[in-house]
Amino acid sequence: MRGSGRIIAAAAASCLLTAAVLAQEPARRTNNAPPKPSGATPRTADGHPDLSGVWNGLGDNLNGVPNQIANNGVIIESETSARDLHSGQTIAVFPRNTTRGQNNEQAERAAALLRRSGSNRPLYKPEYWEMVKNLDHNSNEEDPSNNCMPAGVPRGGIPSYISQHGNHVMFIYPGQGGLIATQTMYRMIPLDGRKHTPLQDLDGTFTGESIARWEGDTLVVDSWGFTPNTWFDQIGGYFHGENMHVIERFRRDGNTLTWTATVEDPDVLLEPWTTTPRVALLNPRADSLLPESQPCSERDLSHLVTKEHH
Amino acid sequence: MTRVRITALLAVSLCGVALPGRVSAHHSIQAQFDINKSFNITGTVAKIEFINPHSYLTINVKDADGKVQKWAFEMTGLAGLRRAGLSRADRGGLKAGDELTVIALAARDGSNSGLAQELKMADGRVFKLIADINNP
Repeated sequence: MRGSGRIIAAAAASCLLTAAVLAQEPARRTNNAPPKPSGATPRTADGHPDLSGVWNGLGDNLNGVPNQIANNGVIIESETSARDLHSGQTIAVFPRNTTRGQNNEQAERAAALLRRSGSNRPLYKPEYWEMVKNLDHNSNEEDPSNNCMPAGVPRGGIPSYISQHGNHVMFIYPGQGGLIATQTMYRMIPLDGRKHTPLQDLDGTFTGESIARWEGDTLVVDSWGFTPNTWFDQIGGYFHGENMHVIERFRRDGNTLTWTATVEDPDVLLEPWTTTPRVALLNPRADSLLPESQPCSERDLSHLVTKEHH
Repeated sequence: MTRVRITALLAVSLCGVALPGRVSAHHSIQAQFDINKSFNITGTVAKIEFINPHSYLTINVKDADGKVQKWAFEMTGLAGLRRAGLSRADRGGLKAGDELTVIALAARDGSNSGLAQELKMADGRVFKLIADINNP
């Protein structure tokens, strides 16, 4: 790296990292393979794994593709190789003729392609294919999270902070800049065995109505009652209807937290879609706190002159 | 007075590919800014805002008629600003009224805005926010 590398690296880190991640100064890595667990899994007095903590450590941004938060199942193995986590296949990365780094234009386009290289995609009913394509193509204007809206569920991914209590669990998602521009979200999710409110009695919201239960050591969070004004993944124009049902699974192994989400929306999808598992790392600092996240104020989109997007 | 100069930028290093990566904007950089055209503009600090999705610097610039125009500059992320030394005013950061020259990439829509790359303060301080545009 050049002399300016330190600044570039710091700025790169700032793109996708929430304040929580910034607080820990993530270690520099050369690939974004999911972190391996280490240490024992702490348990609460009732014997369940304790998911409490500041998560999403090592949220690096490699080859323009952020880790954990929006990796879309793509592992960056090196500057010139990537792999589809879902299929295991190697993905061709942007070809280079020289050893010179890509310029901004090349890098943005390469990263946009790489993000769309994952094979694990939701399957929409044919009548929506054109709509999804157009939403993705026009994502500068159409992506709800480009305008500082909350990311919603499951797009929010793994919360940056979890606080687990006997009868409820608290999730906090600091607002982000970077690839998506979102407001802070929080979810207070009952763990007391209550049932869902009938869907028709719920006004759609960004995080919906969630209830949680334990299946062995896995925390299962079941949600519905969403506003249709979110996308359920970071890219791709993956819209949903107001009847979307999301099942998230959280499993803690030592200092890692593995998350998947299954999206059921028979109104628009041919079959349920399950995310490629994402793995977050516990903030290694035991005394880490979640700082205030910055408010989101979008000022750029009205100045865009092309449809170039992420 | 605005001096516009064209700089060939082979690698602006805003967002990208070289490990460990570059800044990601929530929009495409090149959809908003001309990555091959930087300019300098001199004025006084009106406001600096540490916000998502991008921090912003607003400056007051006197035009040829002496009328004050606002110019708005998108800046790199919070960590980048901190590393560059932008913090509280009493710890070396900016405060309203400070005179400075902003070196920035030009907005493609011709608006009074840009992507700030470097801030040169009248008192000699320099804040390099992203890569050296003359030595990418």
